[in-house]
Amino acid sequence: MVECQVTVINRLGLHARAAARLVQTTGAFSSTVRLERSDRSASADAKSILSVLMLAASRGTELRATAEGVDEEEALRAVCELIASGFGETEK
Amino acid sequence: MRVDREWIWRDREVSKRKKLERIEARWRGVAVSEGLAVGRVLRIHNGARQQVYRATLSEGDLIHETRRFRAAVRLARRQLRAVKKRAEHALGADHSYIFDAHLLMLQDRKLHEDIETYICRERVNAEWAVKVVSDRLLAVYAEIKDDYLRERSSDVEDVTRRILVALSGENAQNPRPIPEDAIVVAEELMPSVAAELDFAHVRAIASDAGGWTSHTAIIARGLSIPAVVGLGDFYRHTRTGDEIVVDARTGEVVLHPSEKTSESYRVRAETLAMQTGMVVGEGPNRMHEPLRTLDGVEIILRANVELPAEYEAVSRYGARGIGLYRSEFLLSQGEEMPSEDEQCVAYLEVARLGGEDGATVRLFDLGGDKMGPGHEGEVERNPALGLRAIRFCLQRESVLRTQVRAVLRAAARGKIHLVLPMISDLTDVRRARRIIDEERENLGREGREVGAVKIGAMIEVPSAVLIADKLASEVDFFSLGTNDLVQYLLAVDRSNEKVADWFRSLHPAVLQSIRRTLEAARAASIPAVVCGEMAATPAYAFILVGLGARDLSMTASSIPRVRRVMSALDTARMRTVAEECLECGTADDVEEIVRARLSTEWPHLFPAESLPAPRLSTGNNSEGLSSTEDDGTNRLAPGSRRADVR
Repeated sequence: MVECQVTVINRLGLHARAAARLVQTTGAFSSTVRLERSDRSASADAKSILSVLMLAASRGTELRATAEGVDEEEALRAVCELIASGFGETEK
Repeated sequence: MRVDREWIWRDREVSKRKKLERIEARWRGVAVSEGLAVGRVLRIHNGARQQVYRATLSEGDLIHETRRFRAAVRLARRQLRAVKKRAEHALGADHSYIFDAHLLMLQDRKLHEDIETYICRERVNAEWAVKVVSDRLLAVYAEIKDDYLRERSSDVEDVTRRILVALSGENAQNPRPIPEDAIVVAEELMPSVAAELDFAHVRAIASDAGGWTSHTAIIARGLSIPAVVGLGDFYRHTRTGDEIVVDARTGEVVLHPSEKTSESYRVRAETLAMQTGMVVGEGPNRMHEPLRTLDGVEIILRANVELPAEYEAVSRYGARGIGLYRSEFLLSQGEEMPSEDEQCVAYLEVARLGGEDGATVRLFDLGGDKMGPGHEGEVERNPALGLRAIRFCLQRESVLRTQVRAVLRAAARGKIHLVLPMISDLTDVRRARRIIDEERENLGREGREVGAVKIGAMIEVPSAVLIADKLASEVDFFSLGTNDLVQYLLAVDRSNEKVADWFRSLHPAVLQSIRRTLEAARAASIPAVVCGEMAATPAYAFILVGLGARDLSMTASSIPRVRRVMSALDTARMRTVAEECLECGTADDVEEIVRARLSTEWPHLFPAESLPAPRLSTGNNSEGLSSTEDDGTNRLAPGSRRADVR
């Protein structure tokens, strides 16, 4: 299992469009991907949009992402890059 | 119209006869598109709060029930894909992304597992399981502290409703059949519900909630159907089949119109249809020829556009390019800014639409009441005079740079101009130009192709009018935004009903400002496009051309009626009338001249209802463009009814 820390930087947090992108991204890998709030108050299956939305990760939330499986390295990198880039949304 | 309704309530109490409920009643809301329609109410309910019953199943039925649930999800998914496709077509990819999220929710593993587990564990029917699981989910969402994220619960509701409908065997896949004269009435028209309607048959829309940028408004404008929103509690007073009038020129809705009322509206609807229809009937060739006045002066009519749904109308009505593209409509409510690439694609599409005449993209006109992403809640005390338009862009430089880059890149493959909104000082122009030049260099260094872009200034603030000659030497063209010009010049908040009587598009100061601006442009040999809503009304266009305007931009559907009138007039006569108006001291005097001259000299072009209405001595009637005896509350002034357009 691999893991990394990442902070949500886009203004609206993991809102509907961002969550959709995240789930579309994780869906392409076979590894299990999970997100957990750094304060351990909630964790989510990063392949389930309902679960991701329930994290209620607004801007500034610190998350711990973990991936486990044959393509765990790639999956983790893709997820962390996506979140760290603010989901490619112009406004940071 | 509060008075009318109070009267009805009293009357109802007195007689208690059910029949009296059918007495004519009027509501006033915000008109968000154009036109007028008479028809019958078709109530559309959003949530379809179906009754869901619990049934206990035998062990043997559970597998069947699970399969039934899966089949319903598959059906719902097919329907949702179709909805998404339709929405993409009508509203553009940026507004349809929400259906991606809905599709993912529909396929959500967790949702499926929870529901199937519940079916098996509790031995219940799928409907009950869907309801229980979704209620639990909603309860969790309700606890979320972040407003925006919490609101996602409405998406969950939309999705589970869809599964329930699919389970009930109702086929929501095809657009709902709609009677010919249907006027859709809803509390609020949700995008997924709207996308399922067959709009070919919808005559008009009336909704309780919403403003200019609501989904209802956007859909209605895109499809050129009359719509009035913000009607408060109208929905609950209606029943499907009730007779109704929706007047999107005044923002008025009449329920159970009397025979006399509905007849008078019908006549007006036909006249309106004739005014826009006549030229269309003359065939496409004629419409795409250059428009010349009787004395051979060419008048250019361009289109103002906001959404892809309006694009088709641009060529249909023979617009000469896009005179104003309000780029802030790229932003969906509450969402993040579109990326440079996304914007580039959008601008290129608009440029292609404009063809060889090109398209003028206005920088995001955000701020004030339209704060844009991430600025919700920062209320300014005086938003119209606050951080908006060019000021907002200059302060949020990253937003400006992204937009400028997108425009420059799109210009490599299409003809695009850029206009800077709400310029009040040359410094605004210089600062914006510097950023544009820097981004041009940056793109060059990155090896990106960029195109030539003309830079124009919106003239809509009095200070810009006064220094128009100076501005003209530093920009490539002017765009006159008449709506804001009237607001700022007369110090009248155009979205404030209380001062609507003071919002006078034909105020002599407005006319002088327009002339002064046009003269400054002519002296500097730069083009000047008049692109406020004034241009869309023939009587006002008459005055604008009389003041020297030769280039007008308006909603595409208004082009035929302006074209028809212009081709039957000559500029010298228009100038004479306009000059007479310039001598006036009051807006009333100007309107009187317009009414008198136009109705006597060109009665065939300007029927009484197309002219500014005489103001009643009671003082509560403003410069309505149409007036009949039952319509004394008409309050239409170009611009004022489109309360939040700029």
